[in-house]
Amino acid sequence: MAFMGDIMNPAPLWHNGPAPGAFYNFPSNPSNLGPVNHTVQDFRAHSANPITTTTTVIGLKFDKGVVIAADTLGSYGSLARFRDCSRVMKVNDLILLGSGGDYADFQYLKDIIDQKIIDEQCIGDGLLLKPRSLHCWLTRVLYNKRSKMDPLWNNYVVAGIQDGEPFLGAVDKLGTAYEDATIATGLGAYMATPLLRDARDKGNLDEEAAKALVRKCMEVLFYRDARAFQRYQLGVVTADGVVIDDVAELQHNWNLAHMIQMK
Amino acid sequence: MLSVSENFPEYAVPGAKQVRFEPYADNGGSIVAIAGDDYAVIGADTRLSTGFSIYTREQKKLFKLSEGTVLGATGCWCDTLTLTRLLQARMQMYEHEHNKSMSTPAVAQMLSTMLYYKRFFPYYVSNILAGLDAEGKGCVYSYDPIGHCERSNYRAGGSAGAQLQPLLDNQIGLKNMQNVTVAPIPREKALALLKDVFISAAERDIYTGDSIYILIITANGIQEEKFELRKD
Amino acid sequence: MSILAYNGGAVVAMRGQDCVAIATDKRFGIQAQTVSTNFPKVYRMGPTLFVGLPGLATDTQTVHQRLKFRMNLYELKENRVMRPKTFSAMLSNMLYEKRFGPYFIEPVIAGLDPYDNQPYVCNMDLIGCPNEPEDFVVSGTCSEQLYGMCEALWEPNLKPDELFETISQALVNAADRDAISGWGAVVYIIEKDKITEKHVKTRMD
Repeated sequence: MAFMGDIMNPAPLWHNGPAPGAFYNFPSNPSNLGPVNHTVQDFRAHSANPITTTTTVIGLKFDKGVVIAADTLGSYGSLARFRDCSRVMKVNDLILLGSGGDYADFQYLKDIIDQKIIDEQCIGDGLLLKPRSLHCWLTRVLYNKRSKMDPLWNNYVVAGIQDGEPFLGAVDKLGTAYEDATIATGLGAYMATPLLRDARDKGNLDEEAAKALVRKCMEVLFYRDARAFQRYQLGVVTADGVVIDDVAELQHNWNLAHMIQMK
Repeated sequence: MLSVSENFPEYAVPGAKQVRFEPYADNGGSIVAIAGDDYAVIGADTRLSTGFSIYTREQKKLFKLSEGTVLGATGCWCDTLTLTRLLQARMQMYEHEHNKSMSTPAVAQMLSTMLYYKRFFPYYVSNILAGLDAEGKGCVYSYDPIGHCERSNYRAGGSAGAQLQPLLDNQIGLKNMQNVTVAPIPREKALALLKDVFISAAERDIYTGDSIYILIITANGIQEEKFELRKD
Repeated sequence: MSILAYNGGAVVAMRGQDCVAIATDKRFGIQAQTVSTNFPKVYRMGPTLFVGLPGLATDTQTVHQRLKFRMNLYELKENRVMRPKTFSAMLSNMLYEKRFGPYFIEPVIAGLDPYDNQPYVCNMDLIGCPNEPEDFVVSGTCSEQLYGMCEALWEPNLKPDELFETISQALVNAADRDAISGWGAVVYIIEKDKITEKHVKTRMD
């Protein structure tokens, strides 16, 4: 009956005071942060949201391969804290991997992938992990983590060459996986995707055109995404192998921002 | 517990923005399946989306489970991927054990069991299974996310299910029609109707569009077809 | 559950060639329990003007009464009948007056303009945002089903009898897929000098 109140959890005797039959916890006394105040979920909750985050990853297929790009900023909330977070990764000669979201989670998974590749090389049969396999494996890892309510807070973009053909796929923190000719995660999904899809619809792209387009997208994102950065990495995978360029610096020009200039 | 004592830990004070992890996503998509005397057609749109952004315009949501059975699945795409992979594994296990492929009604029962197995952390998927039964007749099975299963002759599901279903009731189930004779619908009519209802759904449902991927299941195997929808 | 779906019900209106039609179901219920099967939600507000007020039944009746009051006042003051478009504006304003404590109805308006006989259909949300399309409007607890039906069945320049068939099929089939709409239907076909009221038999479960 509602008017009797909750017998198992009686109301405190006064505001922030002890409940009948309970010990009194003095406010702001750290020694009495007793077990009453914490549940297992509270601690788990810390890992259930991202801490140091990275933003957009862009992926674009061209006629003979795939290009992906990501900037190198690790944000700590709104603070631009880490300026050299490389997150375009060579997996092997067939696969490039890009990551957005929590940087620690990426580093954790990167170590596992690196070990996978070493194990594979130790077998010495000359076989290489293919992009579709890695993409599928990532799906399973991320899905299993999300099912434990302890997700890896990342978006992954897998680029590679599968049996001579370009491959581009994405996986998010739930394990949602798809392939497409253009992929942009985070804020890039709203700002870069239209540019990329538009260019693809106009005709086939070669490597140079694809790279130029991706660079343009990085510039657009730098102007409008507050968590984007002017230094970024660009990686290309073709049948000849994987090339990750050194960190490049965007040539930005704020003259175009006359309408948002403050007096 | 916290709300009773009101001794909030620093990171959990009321008003502080708590990012709750949400294990499900709505990735949209619609399916329509129609069964005839000696065939079944099933179509699903190819748009994979979340909120206001489209992941891809060419995601196939139909899964060939055997030569006579196709599953259409929409909803939470990561659950769809997991469920269909498990299903495909179970199909293979059956084939290796019994040296024949599973009949559609058997798949239907298995799918129901597999969904119910996850009763308290369900696969958020709207499933429609189409195929030929043991007598070679077309059949359609539809499900809720936790394994309720029903056999019928036609079904619409997914994000535009509510828009599509009454039209199928009217045109195939011949509901609220007078002076009509109940006759099995020819394959061409089923196919045309399937395209028509999808065109209607694409007008009003933002999660349905781009194109339809259609599979036609007959005793001679599975035939594919693609049909363009509006892309906005 | 939304308070808009407390009593259940559906209304649809369509434009035809020199005619319009508006149709409503007849159910009145309290959540899943059907209380009455003679509660149409469409009211005649003028010679060629109808309004449908599906939603919370008490607000259906209140808004109808307030509309009638304002209509009478307008007609006495102006000594002429109200145009459908004026009526829409009036209803829209009336609903927006209650922006932060709204009437839980989503109105549908259908009529022929008394001066140039132009067909007119309009619907609005519960705080009076109007929408005046060229084809059809739907409202109520089975609006999704109605959209599906109308989108497939409606075509331009329907004659009155064709329009009747189209709107009836749309409403009845949509309501059959909604647990809290149906139990009979009324269709009004509005032409220049003729109003036809037809009661449609439907399944009663």
